[in-house]
Amino acid sequence: MSLLELTSVSKTYRRRGETVHALDAVSFSAQFGEFICLLGVSGCGKSTLLQILAGLEHADGGEVRMEGEPITECHPEASVVFQEHGLFPWMTVERNVEFNMKARGVGKTERGRVAHDFIDRVGLAGFEQRYPHELSGGMRQRVGIARALTTRPRLLLMDEPFGALDAQTRSVMQSQLLELWQAYRATVVFVTHSVDEAVFLADRIVIMSPRPGRVRSIVPVDLPRPRDRADPRFGQCVGEVLALIHEDLRQLVGA
Amino acid sequence: MGQSRATLLGLAPLAVLLGLWQLATSGGWYTSVLLPAPIEVARVFATQWPALLHHVGASLTRVSVGIAMACATAIPLGLLIGRFKWLDEVTDWTIQIFRSLPGIALIPLAILFFGIGDKPAIILITLAAFWPLVVSTIFGVKSVERTLLKVARVARAGDLLVLRDILLPSALPSILTGLRLAAGAGWLTVVTAEMMAVKSGLGYYIMYAQTTFRAEEIIAGILTIGAIGLLFDQGIRMLRHRICRWQEGLVLES
Repeated sequence: MSLLELTSVSKTYRRRGETVHALDAVSFSAQFGEFICLLGVSGCGKSTLLQILAGLEHADGGEVRMEGEPITECHPEASVVFQEHGLFPWMTVERNVEFNMKARGVGKTERGRVAHDFIDRVGLAGFEQRYPHELSGGMRQRVGIARALTTRPRLLLMDEPFGALDAQTRSVMQSQLLELWQAYRATVVFVTHSVDEAVFLADRIVIMSPRPGRVRSIVPVDLPRPRDRADPRFGQCVGEVLALIHEDLRQLVGA
Repeated sequence: MGQSRATLLGLAPLAVLLGLWQLATSGGWYTSVLLPAPIEVARVFATQWPALLHHVGASLTRVSVGIAMACATAIPLGLLIGRFKWLDEVTDWTIQIFRSLPGIALIPLAILFFGIGDKPAIILITLAAFWPLVVSTIFGVKSVERTLLKVARVARAGDLLVLRDILLPSALPSILTGLRLAAGAGWLTVVTAEMMAVKSGLGYYIMYAQTTFRAEEIIAGILTIGAIGLLFDQGIRMLRHRICRWQEGLVLES
């Protein structure tokens, strides 16, 4: 049995009197400990899909099951890392990392101990008492990741977490994320619009096409880790994925 | 350095006013019965300070109690209204109507209901301070970053934690702006109320000075009110600076 099972998930919403088909019969599954990237151009519904997986939005049709149970609200075994503005600006790094545990009623000393441990793991030891605005973008995302991991989630949902970072910081963060993932073995669903990022991170890439949001194809990435961008096979894989996306884009712009 | 420059700049218009005042009196523009010289007013401060202090104490106590009562009710209510849409829909019109009523307009009614004394004054101050506080709290809660509420939902945080750890701190800068407005409104109301409904306080002092034709006492009372207003405002700014340290670098100083 897989950890996550999506069957014909659909979602429509009305925006300024117009009906938007955000998702149309999306189906795929994620195995235990698998790293899935949802890849697609903007408007393909990948973020909407992540919100549904997080329990923040409801699907109109179809079903999402986690370990066989339908997800109808925020699942206790799932955590989310948001792209930006996910940290509480009035809380120090330490208190931000403690928040998810606090919400679950974990005691103060235990919270402090676990938070400390994770702050250390993401390389932010010494920054416990800083406020988010005193940190760089990469450091802020590490706080978000540390916070998401404190509850030892079985499903880690990430909504373009590195989208706002510069290229160098981004590639460092990607490697660090993989290390953490290998250490904690959560199933990850990672939304991105960067082909390079998806090929670097994913076990399987779910390519989505826009209007309506559909699964275009699912591409397994069979390269050994750590992956090397200079490896010709890496470039080949990027090329294959790009070709699939370009085909969609051409249809979209009618060229 | 920057601080002393700001103090100097802030004092400049006041010095000009003082100069004009001195000029007006020494030039004999008005009779000294109407407009006494600055030195006459200074003499009031020098000789009557125990009485003045007594009245200042009375006014300050009323304003403080009134504002404290307004804070204790308006902030929790504002948090709830900002949080729950149905409550906002129920209360919106009522708030808009009541907040446009000047507290002063209610003085006659308050005297009818509560007679002469501290009670009507404090109730009027509470009312006057309540509306700006509740409105700014609601505004502060509504402008919370949406992603943070998603973070809370995913973490399955309870309502109390959301109110206390997210909505309250997020709304705090706006609440403090409301407090500045509330202090202004409260101060305005106390002086007016004291002119009619109480036998102590700076409002009463000024009215009494008028009935005895002591213009220098009236002006001394007015200057005291102004000075306290300035101190109040500076105090709230300092408070904001201290408890909203996380905001530094995020917004421009207002």
